[in-house]
Amino acid sequence: MPTISKTMEKPIIEFQNVTKEFSMNSQKTFKEFLPALFRGEKTVNRFTALKDINFKVKRGETLGIIGPNGSGKSTILKLVAKVMSPTNGKVTVRGKVSPLIELGAGFHSELSGRENIYLNGAILGLKRKEIDKNFKSIVDFAELWDFVDQPVKHYSTGMYMRLGFAIAVHVNPEILIIDEILAVGDTKFQEKCFKRMEEFKKQGVTILFVSHDIKQITKFCTKVIYIRESNLAAIGNPKKISQFYLNDQENK
Amino acid sequence: MSDIFTEIKSIIKWHELLWQMVGREVKARYKQSILGYFWVILNPLAQMLVMSFAFSIILRIPTNAASNIPYSIFLFVGLLPWNLFSNSLSSASASLVSSSSLITKIYFPRTILVLSTIIAKIVDFLFALSILAIYMIAYHIPINLNILWVIPIFLIQQIFTLGLSLFFAASNLIYRDIQYLLSLILTLWLYITPVIYPADLVPERFRIIFQLNPMAVIINAYRQTILGGGPPNYSSLYIGLLVSLVTLFLGFLYFKSREKIFADNI
Repeated sequence: MPTISKTMEKPIIEFQNVTKEFSMNSQKTFKEFLPALFRGEKTVNRFTALKDINFKVKRGETLGIIGPNGSGKSTILKLVAKVMSPTNGKVTVRGKVSPLIELGAGFHSELSGRENIYLNGAILGLKRKEIDKNFKSIVDFAELWDFVDQPVKHYSTGMYMRLGFAIAVHVNPEILIIDEILAVGDTKFQEKCFKRMEEFKKQGVTILFVSHDIKQITKFCTKVIYIRESNLAAIGNPKKISQFYLNDQENK
Repeated sequence: MSDIFTEIKSIIKWHELLWQMVGREVKARYKQSILGYFWVILNPLAQMLVMSFAFSIILRIPTNAASNIPYSIFLFVGLLPWNLFSNSLSSASASLVSSSSLITKIYFPRTILVLSTIIAKIVDFLFALSILAIYMIAYHIPINLNILWVIPIFLIQQIFTLGLSLFFAASNLIYRDIQYLLSLILTLWLYITPVIYPADLVPERFRIIFQLNPMAVIINAYRQTILGGGPPNYSSLYIGLLVSLVTLFLGFLYFKSREKIFADNI
């Protein structure tokens, strides 16, 4: 049955000649825009964040994305999460994506931890029943037993982050996006997060991982892409690409 | 057209998020201060007292000679829906910008951000409405079955509000000062709408403004059904409905055409 095996092989994420251009307004306000329009000045500023990017990610792979700041790494993640659409080319994603949202995005500081778990769960697309079922496990993971009914404005940064991470890992995603979030938090919790991510890997979850920590990348990823000035500079074996990246940066 | 059905389908699919977002707005309000919902009631009450003094005692605006309705009630029937309109529009126009951290991270139907803000404002409105009810009972204002007209009128108002909100929310994301422009527009709009004065006080030749202004049609219709005890002016209401539907359609199209680049603009 060749058709079935063919569909099985279909990559879970596929970038085909993807170019992303931003056309930013040169004027941030309407007040500035109107006079500029009359004077015949340029009102739109274009810049290319990604240029003709091609790569595939197979189900169960852990893809590391490295590159200097501003090279376009986060834009790739945003295209996968469908919050942005490419200017040219095609992005295909065949699975449920869970982004690890930045510290407290979507949390409401006046509401309690409990209320925020439900709110954030809904933002991530969970049904109320699913949250009910996972509630205890989320609180356990975040280690917030005594604080779950306190408003999150009284939480420490670490507690905030733990809660955000705990909710995101209970979404049962097919694709998990991690954007440098693990740079914060104490070592103990970081270890816990990595342990959880290892479990995800074993379950066959596809992971996209952006980090500046080359050690983490080589230890954790099965494949790495190196983005340099909006272009895909290299793709392949984590050790090889990381080494290439380090050399490349030194030679600059 | 098919865009609209797709959007409705995805909102239904994400309805839990919609209610969570409404809950967030409502709960956060009463948690922020001890007085909480008291403000929702105190605000229009104070507005009414000040305006009543200015327009009824100083300027002596007549309401309706035939039915002996005190100015304060006449004002309140127009002011509450107007406040709902104006509050919804200004909060909704800021709703995308204030959730920018979500827009750049997670996919969900963006219309939910606008919808949830408007629904939360309706909750506020219902609280403020209780004051009007008490007032009307205290002054023995007679009502009859025509008051049921309030429901379709309210729906027309919400269609119009949603249409404008979608437009202003999307454009405020591109130029952040649109919301200041909007508050200027709302201030002027209040005066070309018969909220603080009765429509029949306006010379005939200017009344065309009311015909084209859905908010004037809506406020007049509320007064006719709640205070007048009669049915609304059907032909005006019909035009009002039509204008509101067209506004919603255009507002939605604009929102959709901009939606793809929301995350780029933050």
